[in-house]
Amino acid sequence: MKKILSMIVLAAVLCALAGCAAPAKSAASSGGDGASAEIFAMDTVMDLTAYGDNGETALKAAEEKINALEDLLSRTREDSEISKLNAAGGQPVEVDPEAFSLISRAQGLGYAVDSTFNITIAPVVSAWGFTTDHYQVPSQAELSELLTHVDLADIELNPDGTVALKNGASIDLGGIAKGYASDCVSDIFTDNGITSGKISLGGNVYVCGGKVDGTPWRVAVQDPKDETGWVGVLKLKDAFAVTSGGYQRYFEENGKRYHHIIDPATGYPAESGLVSVTVVANAYQTSATGSGTMCDAYSTAFFVMGADKALNFWRSNQSKDPFDLVLVTEDNRVLVTSGLADEFEENEGSDYTYEIVR
Amino acid sequence: MKSSVKLHFCRWDLIVAAAILLLAGGLTFGYWGQTVSAAGSGLTAVVSANGEEIDRVDLASLKTAEERTYTDLGYTLTVEFSPDGVCVETSDCPTQDCVHTGTITRAGQSIVCLPARISVQLKADVGQAASSGDFDVMIG
Repeated sequence: MKKILSMIVLAAVLCALAGCAAPAKSAASSGGDGASAEIFAMDTVMDLTAYGDNGETALKAAEEKINALEDLLSRTREDSEISKLNAAGGQPVEVDPEAFSLISRAQGLGYAVDSTFNITIAPVVSAWGFTTDHYQVPSQAELSELLTHVDLADIELNPDGTVALKNGASIDLGGIAKGYASDCVSDIFTDNGITSGKISLGGNVYVCGGKVDGTPWRVAVQDPKDETGWVGVLKLKDAFAVTSGGYQRYFEENGKRYHHIIDPATGYPAESGLVSVTVVANAYQTSATGSGTMCDAYSTAFFVMGADKALNFWRSNQSKDPFDLVLVTEDNRVLVTSGLADEFEENEGSDYTYEIVR
Repeated sequence: MKSSVKLHFCRWDLIVAAAILLLAGGLTFGYWGQTVSAAGSGLTAVVSANGEEIDRVDLASLKTAEERTYTDLGYTLTVEFSPDGVCVETSDCPTQDCVHTGTITRAGQSIVCLPARISVQLKADVGQAASSGDFDVMIG
């Protein structure tokens, strides 16, 4: 009898100890790498991670889609749909239906933000050298002439699927292509049954579900003053987040810094008092298809608008396509809109002051 | 009046007691050993060229700073790994963005050289619990 009792006690102790050890094993599996890929496309580096049985299949499809979009939409590839359109001298050009749809959406988003996001800014951006990395400050006369070709109304979308660029206009979808690509990857993840994953397409982030352990993804918003620092961390599930900042691409001449986000009204780099704009939208909450596309366009637009106009736009557009903002100002303030109040974690060691905006 | 029960250790009691002590000691050592190791190491630097992983360095395994060179697309980067972080010391690429990034120290941070298509990412070791300030991806 004693032997039996002893064996029972021993078995119980082993089970108890095994139970104590179980969480460590669980934590290890939840931190696994999943399938991951790094892609150089659209003039940036892209990181993609997907968990689950179809992770590798989903990432392969995503890589193919991103490369196909670059072939289709790049302004610097001579054989892309956009290059053909820009070279057509105003004549109607039959373009790929996907490119047609994106041009149409870019025009609509541009109208919504009073042309502060404007894909016809292309010739002005070129004059500054941001498409070739041969930077220069254009003369005022050159900018004034080029601005006469910057008008969303010069994009003529025809029912027969052709597009014509009037009045010497040309377009650049660089301000929206990565956001659109993130929407496409989101669809690919859904089609492949991916319920946990993350992608970062050069300033455009999409998080699918939460992490495999069920907790939200932690998305840090970069400190505009310190490339390795951050102003805060967003805790997100099923969301898109896109940041635009003047620190991302710039050059200096005669002691003055010129960044790549051009104000379509002036032809000069926008000076709105903002140094960084992050737009966040739930992946399944908006009525508009393509939350990533919307976030990409709005992040540029709000950077040009400045904080006051951006927040007014946020307040008046919450019923249809809700989104939230993290705005970083030149005077070291971080403005977080109320929808992110519970999801935003301040960097307590920073020299920023934080405000929740309602 | 009942007499009190006398307890005697038999051979099986000793075996059980010894087994408990051994298991408890072993698991305790293993558990705390793993935790201390994770806290001390925490980070692995993953170096990729054109999307293919070409090197992997466990920062905690380093006693001192260590330099390694990587070449791709005609450009050469000298990367310094230390227990505290990673930086690109030198590069002959035209933009020098990778050098200007400075030292990265936390999981989720990365250094990218677009001309060479070389990247260095810091990843948290498997099982490493997230602490305040850790993140999965940086946006900006």
